[in-house]
Amino acid sequence: MTEDYRRPLLRDVIGEVFKYLVLFVVAIWVLLPVYWMVTTSFKTKLELSTVPPNLWPEKLTWTNYRNLFVGRPFDTYLLNSLIVVLSAAAAAIVIGTLAAYSLARLDLKAKFKSNIAFWILSTRMLPAIVVLVPIYAMYNALNLLNTRIGLILLYTGAALPFAVWMMQSFIEELPIDLEEAAWVDGDTRIGALFRIVMPLVAPGLVATSIFTIIVLWNEFLFALMLISTTSKVTLPVGINGLITMYDWQWGQMTAIGTIAVIPILIFTMYVQRYLVRGLTLGGVK
Amino acid sequence: MMGKTNEQELLMSTQAAMLDGADVPKIPWYRRLTSDWLGYVLLAPTLLILLLMIAYPTVYFIGVSLFRWQGGAMKDFIWLGNFVRLFTDQQFLNSLRVTALFAICAVSIEFVLGLGMALFLRTNLKLRGLWRSLVIVPMTVTPVVIGIIWRLMYNPGFGVLNPILQFFGLESVDLLSTPFGAFLGVVILDVWNWTPVMFLILLAGLEGMPIEPFEAAKIDGAGPVRTFFDHTLPLLRPSILIALLIRTMDCVRMFDQVFILTQGGPGTSTEVVSLYLYKTAFKFYDVGYAAAGLFLLLIFVTLVSQLYIRLIRGKEETA
Repeated sequence: MTEDYRRPLLRDVIGEVFKYLVLFVVAIWVLLPVYWMVTTSFKTKLELSTVPPNLWPEKLTWTNYRNLFVGRPFDTYLLNSLIVVLSAAAAAIVIGTLAAYSLARLDLKAKFKSNIAFWILSTRMLPAIVVLVPIYAMYNALNLLNTRIGLILLYTGAALPFAVWMMQSFIEELPIDLEEAAWVDGDTRIGALFRIVMPLVAPGLVATSIFTIIVLWNEFLFALMLISTTSKVTLPVGINGLITMYDWQWGQMTAIGTIAVIPILIFTMYVQRYLVRGLTLGGVK
Repeated sequence: MMGKTNEQELLMSTQAAMLDGADVPKIPWYRRLTSDWLGYVLLAPTLLILLLMIAYPTVYFIGVSLFRWQGGAMKDFIWLGNFVRLFTDQQFLNSLRVTALFAICAVSIEFVLGLGMALFLRTNLKLRGLWRSLVIVPMTVTPVVIGIIWRLMYNPGFGVLNPILQFFGLESVDLLSTPFGAFLGVVILDVWNWTPVMFLILLAGLEGMPIEPFEAAKIDGAGPVRTFFDHTLPLLRPSILIALLIRTMDCVRMFDQVFILTQGGPGTSTEVVSLYLYKTAFKFYDVGYAAAGLFLLLIFVTLVSQLYIRLIRGKEETA
């Protein structure tokens, strides 16, 4: 009896230790690069080139952060990113929610509906460069190169697949009864959409907005090619600008990297629950 | 589906009630806009943007790819000359090889790690929520910043890679200076960056599985390995396919990280197809030729999208 009891116990302990050992390794693997970025951003110029590098800065300094805003226009880049990303996200959410409602609730020809789904998905999967070359030619002809509105338009298009697919899946999850009750009370479909559906999908709307903002905040190639004036440059392109042939500004690059990542990190933690839905465009919930 | 029929009945009955005893007025066009055609009206802005993102590029590619470009301007009409050139262009074929090899290596490693972690974190574990939040940190980092971080990590002087190698008794390396090392560096970066996606999709799949087959297997006395191959894998198949497809397509899209980390070098060892076509169009201004390559890429993506839609549909039908 005692032996039967003891053996699984020992195995459990070993299993438990092994489990936390694996988790420990995973945690280091995941966090080391981020840790390295954050600590590097607080190192002095001298300490940056220490070989081998120090795990923890000998002397913490804010110089790298200050230089971003004193010597360089990173406040402008941050502001530009905010303007472009928020405008495009707002546009994509409004346009996308209307489309999502239509796809989820209204009578459309089945063939038409599946065509739309396919188009939206293709847009999500297309490499940015495929869209960029034709759009560049078009913007060149329309004088939209190097304008914020041009970038906002393109970002709206880039964010639309996420907005439509996520919102569609959220709306489909709502029971239709409440809307029906509103129609009986004489509400129009649009009226019911705004008075009944919108408040109910509010959490989904927030998740979709955040997801859209994250995708756009990180976008690089479109902004790199479409914007050339310093006063209109967005954050990722500004970061790229710190890289020159001879001199990598490690301190400043890691400092701005830290600044760029923090809001996204907070947002992502908030929408964790819906991440999979956004990533697979509703393929897995 | 049931909701829809209810809704139609309701609409009909309310319409009937409204019309009861009254003259049937001719519905003006602007009213029909919000009743009969409402579905299409709400979709119109989305359709317009999608036309711009897919249909316009297609037309553009078909037109432009038939011309030879010189000095940033269209020169002569050469029929399918650009396409013929693509298939004899060693650098283009190399970029396809690099992309394919990169996708295969990165996705398979991510799949094994992601599945392992999903199975692992599914079992009872303290602070599971915390672990899950931790694991998704890499995918929140801006791709440009990821390129910078890893370039810093790989730096042979003050990077962190060599101290780690030395700790394990291995020789120091300048990873990004050799073709194989640079390729490995990109794969490692991608594995760090995107294993969380694989993990999240597979975890969602695992959590959505019915519990009965597993209880039955337990009663039958099947071991964990047996249960995994007999029940877990088949039930997880749709999620696995979705995860693999999404990640493979993202590998084909890969640009930012490579652009920062290696610029495609040394030589062309990490020049993925996006990067090659970017250089062709915006560095060498060979737009007609780039358009031909991009057109092939567009067709490829379109075909895969079709596949993905069928996959999701199939999943909904079996569910």
